[in-house]
Amino acid sequence: MRQQVIDTKMNSHTAGEADECLFEYLHTEMVNYTLSKASNKKEKEEELSRLEWMGFSVGYRIIERLTRDCSRFKDELDMIKFICTDFWSSLYHKQIDNLRTNHHGVYMLQDNSFRLLNKVGTNCNKQYLQESPRLLAFTCGLLRGSLANLGIISTVNAEISTLPSCKFHVQVQQM
Amino acid sequence: MTIHNLYIFSKNGTLLYYTEWSRLNKSGITKEEEAKLMYGMLFSIKSFVSKISPLDPNEGFLYFKTSKYTLHYFETPSGLKFVLNTDNISQNARELLQQLYREVYLEYVVKNPLCQLNEPIQSELFKLKVDELFKKSPLYLSRTI
Repeated sequence: MRQQVIDTKMNSHTAGEADECLFEYLHTEMVNYTLSKASNKKEKEEELSRLEWMGFSVGYRIIERLTRDCSRFKDELDMIKFICTDFWSSLYHKQIDNLRTNHHGVYMLQDNSFRLLNKVGTNCNKQYLQESPRLLAFTCGLLRGSLANLGIISTVNAEISTLPSCKFHVQVQQM
Repeated sequence: MTIHNLYIFSKNGTLLYYTEWSRLNKSGITKEEEAKLMYGMLFSIKSFVSKISPLDPNEGFLYFKTSKYTLHYFETPSGLKFVLNTDNISQNARELLQQLYREVYLEYVVKNPLCQLNEPIQSELFKLKVDELFKKSPLYLSRTI
């Protein structure tokens, strides 16, 4: 019982500034750490998959707690909608701005001001566009992990055309 | 009222950022040399103030004034130094520097994973935000009136 009280406290969005940036700084260091272990370009891509895997494990666990008070979902779209609203706002303090689907297992989630990117650049310049994908690997894993725990096996890719907006492509693997 | 120029120094004296809005007199030396000269002077003033002060110098050096301009100095506990030159009638420049530190430096340099600390700031977004902050401040605005 006591554990629950603490849990809800941490979940509230009015929490102080410190715990918010703690995640941002930790994320920065995770990215730097994984990249520092790679020496050449080819290895770098593999290193990002390690970051993605960390995201997967975190997402897999986090969904357990976030869905604690939810009823069961009707279908796949319902789950994706949950990801776009509740999941996203509890992690990034805003909802996904645009969701598109072809109704055959492909979803596109667009965030026009992604929290991990909006301190990096604006659409007025192309600076840092090359380096930014490394900041999305963790979140891709996060999405994949949480969907996996909801029973959806998928692949998630991210795409940035102008900072700080980005798109996550979710491709559900049909069984 | 006018804002002339702005320097940001790291704790070891590296020039992190320099920008100017209205500077009529050029120093005639390169930016690097000028930055060293500026930092040297600030360093001397700081130690001068702390030695010569008859009372306990709480905040130390805050600003100096010549017949033409005022230099405002703001140092953070981490040793980051913000230096702003304005004309003599501008007030609250110190608050502006604190605001620059809080709202622009912390947000767009410290929280940008792709920015190295203690190296000259390259981020275009940071430059944009600095310009925005100063242009909307009353010190800058009232110049055109």
